[in-house]
Amino acid sequence: MSTNVHPKKYRSQSRNRVVSLSVTYTILVILGIIWLIPLVWIVLSAFRCEFQPDGTFIGRVTSNFFPRSFGLKNFQDLFSATYYGVPKAFLRWMLNTLIIAVIDCVISTFLVLSVAYCMSKLKFRMRKPFMNISMIIGLFPGFMSMIAIYFLLKSIGLTGNPSHPEYSMIGLVLAYSAGAGLGFQIAKGFFDVIPNALVESAKLDGCTNFKIFRRIILPLAKPIIIYQALMSFTGPWMDFIFAKVIIGADNAAYWTVSVGLYSMLFGTHPDTNLFTQFAAGCVIVAIPIVTLFMFLQRYYVEGVTAGAVKG
Amino acid sequence: MDSRTAIDSKNKNPLRFLEPIGKAFSDFGKRFADGSLGTKLSHFIFGAGNFYHKQYIKGLLFFLLQVAILWFMIFCPSVNGTPYGYKALSNLSLRNLSEGGDFDPLTGQFTAGSDCKLMILFGFVTIAVIIIYFMVWNMNIKSSFKADMDRKVGKKPTTFTEDLKELLDSKFHITMLTPTCIAAAIFTILPTIFMIALAFTTYNDQDMNNLGTNLFHWNGLQNFQAVFTGEGSLGVEIKNRFMPVLGWTFIWAIFATFTCYFGGIILALLINKKDLKGKKFFRTIFILTIAVPQFISLLAVRNLLGEYGPVNAMLMNWGWIREPVGFLGLNNGDSETLAKVMVIVINMWVGIPYTMLMTSGILMNIPSDLYEAARVDGASTAKMFFKITMPYVIFITTPYLISSFIGNINSFNTIFLLTGGGPTYTGYQAGGTDLLVTWLYKVTIDQGSYNTGAVIGIFTFLITATITLVTYRRSRAYNEEDTFQ
Amino acid sequence: MKKWIAALLAVVMSISMLTGCGGGNGGNGGNQVKDDGVIRIWVGEESAEFYQKVCDEYLAAHTDFGYKIEVKGMDTGSIAGTITNDPTAAADIYTVAHDNIGKLASTQCAKPITDETLIAQVLADNPESYRNVIYSTLNGQQYLYGVPYISQALFLYYNKAKVTEEQAKTFEGLQEAAKAAGTKAITVTGDDGYNMSFALLARKVSDHSTTVKIFEGAESVSGGSKGESNCQGDDTVAIIRWLQAYAADPNGFKWASSDGWDADLDKDNNGVLAVIGGAWHYNTAKSALGETNLGITMIPTFKLTAEAVEGLSGVAAGDEYRGGTFADCKCFMINAYSAAAKYAKEQELILYLSGKEVQNASYLECMNVPAYVGAESYIKQCYDEGKVTESQYNLAAMQVSMSEWGIPQPFITGTLNTYYYSKNAPAVFRAMIDKTAYPTTGDQVLSETESLEGVRRGLYLVEYLWMHGVTPKEFPASLPEKA
Repeated sequence: MSTNVHPKKYRSQSRNRVVSLSVTYTILVILGIIWLIPLVWIVLSAFRCEFQPDGTFIGRVTSNFFPRSFGLKNFQDLFSATYYGVPKAFLRWMLNTLIIAVIDCVISTFLVLSVAYCMSKLKFRMRKPFMNISMIIGLFPGFMSMIAIYFLLKSIGLTGNPSHPEYSMIGLVLAYSAGAGLGFQIAKGFFDVIPNALVESAKLDGCTNFKIFRRIILPLAKPIIIYQALMSFTGPWMDFIFAKVIIGADNAAYWTVSVGLYSMLFGTHPDTNLFTQFAAGCVIVAIPIVTLFMFLQRYYVEGVTAGAVKG
Repeated sequence: MDSRTAIDSKNKNPLRFLEPIGKAFSDFGKRFADGSLGTKLSHFIFGAGNFYHKQYIKGLLFFLLQVAILWFMIFCPSVNGTPYGYKALSNLSLRNLSEGGDFDPLTGQFTAGSDCKLMILFGFVTIAVIIIYFMVWNMNIKSSFKADMDRKVGKKPTTFTEDLKELLDSKFHITMLTPTCIAAAIFTILPTIFMIALAFTTYNDQDMNNLGTNLFHWNGLQNFQAVFTGEGSLGVEIKNRFMPVLGWTFIWAIFATFTCYFGGIILALLINKKDLKGKKFFRTIFILTIAVPQFISLLAVRNLLGEYGPVNAMLMNWGWIREPVGFLGLNNGDSETLAKVMVIVINMWVGIPYTMLMTSGILMNIPSDLYEAARVDGASTAKMFFKITMPYVIFITTPYLISSFIGNINSFNTIFLLTGGGPTYTGYQAGGTDLLVTWLYKVTIDQGSYNTGAVIGIFTFLITATITLVTYRRSRAYNEEDTFQ
Repeated sequence: MKKWIAALLAVVMSISMLTGCGGGNGGNGGNQVKDDGVIRIWVGEESAEFYQKVCDEYLAAHTDFGYKIEVKGMDTGSIAGTITNDPTAAADIYTVAHDNIGKLASTQCAKPITDETLIAQVLADNPESYRNVIYSTLNGQQYLYGVPYISQALFLYYNKAKVTEEQAKTFEGLQEAAKAAGTKAITVTGDDGYNMSFALLARKVSDHSTTVKIFEGAESVSGGSKGESNCQGDDTVAIIRWLQAYAADPNGFKWASSDGWDADLDKDNNGVLAVIGGAWHYNTAKSALGETNLGITMIPTFKLTAEAVEGLSGVAAGDEYRGGTFADCKCFMINAYSAAAKYAKEQELILYLSGKEVQNASYLECMNVPAYVGAESYIKQCYDEGKVTESQYNLAAMQVSMSEWGIPQPFITGTLNTYYYSKNAPAVFRAMIDKTAYPTTGDQVLSETESLEGVRRGLYLVEYLWMHGVTPKEFPASLPEKA
């Protein structure tokens, strides 16, 4: 009798496991579909190629989820169209954003790492006050200071400069990266986990603080460097308010891609027929960012976790 | 470790920051009396002491700084016709303003009136420059005096290279923090002070239009009084809409934080289930919503749910509804409650993957002997979840909960892109789903009512700052900073 | 210890020094930007290419002009906002709808036009009605500020597949067609003051009359008389009550969907059969209906119902009214901050760009309807010669016909265009049509708009907002205030 109990229990357990696994699969598949629907829809819209009976192209949002016919017209139009008097504007916007994002990424990552390192591993008088101040300042909504930043940048000729509209791109990079150092908390959380003993022993060996940072901390900080770089690189691709103010509504040639895409749909007299073109633009913008995320997923998770655990 | 606790206990004295100032004053007389000729001269000409001690580069730097600042103060460079320098200081009072408008038809010469906002902004910049001037002045004297002392005890004054080396070692934090301090001072702190100052002015495009003027003035605390009496466009808007918007902001922040938090944990548990195949595949699907820029994914959702969008069409085809449902409160008369529920639900779509990613790592790190012990005691799966998994995860992620709560209070994109704050309340800027931040945006950027925005901003700030400081100071992350080290 | 902060602050200082170089001349009256040999022009996005071409031609013909010309396309609706934010960064010559003139002049973003030849051309070419709205005052003196070059008015787009030409002539006809199609009849492109003019400015068909007055006889002086306004006439009350009923009808008026008015108009969605819009909506309307189905005509007429005139003495049931419009124009203006040296050349350029020839060419190439008097004969000629399609012709012709039923949006210096800028007046208007309270919560000014008294109060409120920019503390004991 007693010998029978175990196999029976075992069998029922494995049956339970199969049931619970299949329930899990079902839930995950359903959730996965829900999560994908909006994104799939944008992609489908980007490839939509429908016409009215009289040949007018239908670019607006339609009530059918699946397009009646597919084509690459949206992409062709997007890349060849002149927006706001700028020929091939979309390509320019992509390029502008890439330049701004790369420079911002380098500067911001450097600033964040240096501040985080100081806060985590160096001892000095103003440490705690600095931490408190930086946190409090982060609570003010950024756009409130937009006009002030505009005129401060203008004072040094980096925006609102009709003879050199391209300077406002430098201004935008400055405005993006200036505050970056105050967002050091996540990186600090990461540095906090690196044992102090490592730093102390290096000090005993006569290393300067700079050397410790260079030789010991930075090599260990690869995940957080990548995380910060990823965050600051993707930022400029997503901002559609600040960039327009700093670069200027008239300088469409120097806009970033999100400003351009947003203006396509939300001008004063918006041409809603541009929706599928907008979707095509979104797909193009999303491809590099999503690819980066996929490749750097591991580091992203490490960064998020470090920040979460050590706030 | 001990030295740090000592510093921290000193930190408790709230007036501690005044100490160096007092000390500076007491040191001041001493230095002037005891210093060398160079040090004495340094009180008037920056860098003179360093030249006296043959520290030429340092001396030159100090001197150039003095020249630059004095030039700035005396010659008053101007932007848009508004000067910096000493003129900016007198302009800061916003008196003696000119309406401008002198025009000479023959030459085409046009003189515009005063630009009050720039007067305030440049006044603050000038004050900052003056503070810097005195900081540099003090440093230059100290530097010279230190060289005096070094001479006295027979040491050579430090060379420029030695100073630089020090910056890479004992003063490394200065090297590392200076760029951030400067950048933050110019682009974050100064604009913030400027914004706060506007709360004490009549800077409101709507009111100024009605008065037919381009000028505004300081008006003390009148704006804050108007909030309680409900007078003027500022008073009407804030008095009637502040509490509803604040209330909804909190409801939103609480729901948004906890739905995403628990949703994320549950999703992480599902994905990380033992024997489940395709973990990576599922995780990738959910990460997509993080990776796609929000203005794309949220606008996609908004259009999907639009009056003539696919969702409404589908529901109508199935006969579930007769007329299109205004899910997002974009039309007048749409249900506010539905819009509120929808933004919270859609926010789960955006936010759950974050928590899922984060907790995945944590779940795998739960010591397995905890479960073993529980299993031996015959605990059920559910019991183990509530007694072991949840407490562990919550314990570890409290800082995240706090920061995501604050993040949700300031969650601009979700509301701005989904509902635009709708449904609207006729006669007010703040709509049914407006958070404090989106309301601020409408009031300042759309309407140009900067004083209204500044007052709302100050109220918002007081509330969020209190919450943050209280919770943050109590959190483990703050108090037990060193436990992991 | 902090001395090296100073060293880095030196960088800041040197940047501040740049201020002096980059920021202008400093000193007295130094708010003019440097003359760098370029005249910059901002026009509507759709016409940028055309005006650059025209300017290049002008330069080729006038080699001694002495300036380069750069034309940029802008979002026309936000141009004025961009300019007032920072006029020194704006173009030397920009184009805005005339109702922005007051704002731009009073915020000192615009420079008066004084060239005799140009003034003579403006006065000779343009309709009488424009003259009140392109002038403004500076220090007590009246100056010409805007040079009209495009006219704008509202008209009707309708779905030819569902509405006959005859039905499109009246609101009742549209309603009948809507009933057959199971949809709403008509919508507008927005709920701002400009779009609401179709109801507010409706005129009696028999004698083109309306009692509505907005700032009539106003002195365009800052702080000067705001003239006379009236919005409480019996005809206006009756029109509001008629529209209330029309909007409540399942086949009547609807506000534009949040997906856009064109989503309503889209033949697949079948939301409405017609929309009141302007020439700048043409492409969108065309894409919603397809060119063959797109009908264009004047804003329809309607007959007052017995319910609408109940209790009113000045109107009778069956009185016929036609929907009105603001008949606006877009103007060239000169930036106040443009270098004085450019002033003469700028006026010379505007003289050319606003001339009839360039206006005609811009009609052919960009569908901009000319502003000058007598443009209809050129429009007709283009159609006869086959240079434009039928709908393109209709578009211009209907707009010109509608102009006779409208007035330009009035404005006063200082208070600006109160109808448009004191945004609450249109909001009250909307509340009345929706029969809701105003404001929707808080200390209510207008608790209901359903009764005759409610409508009267609502209209009193609109008028009060025009004149004072704020809501009144209390209503007069009896309305209407004026007999």
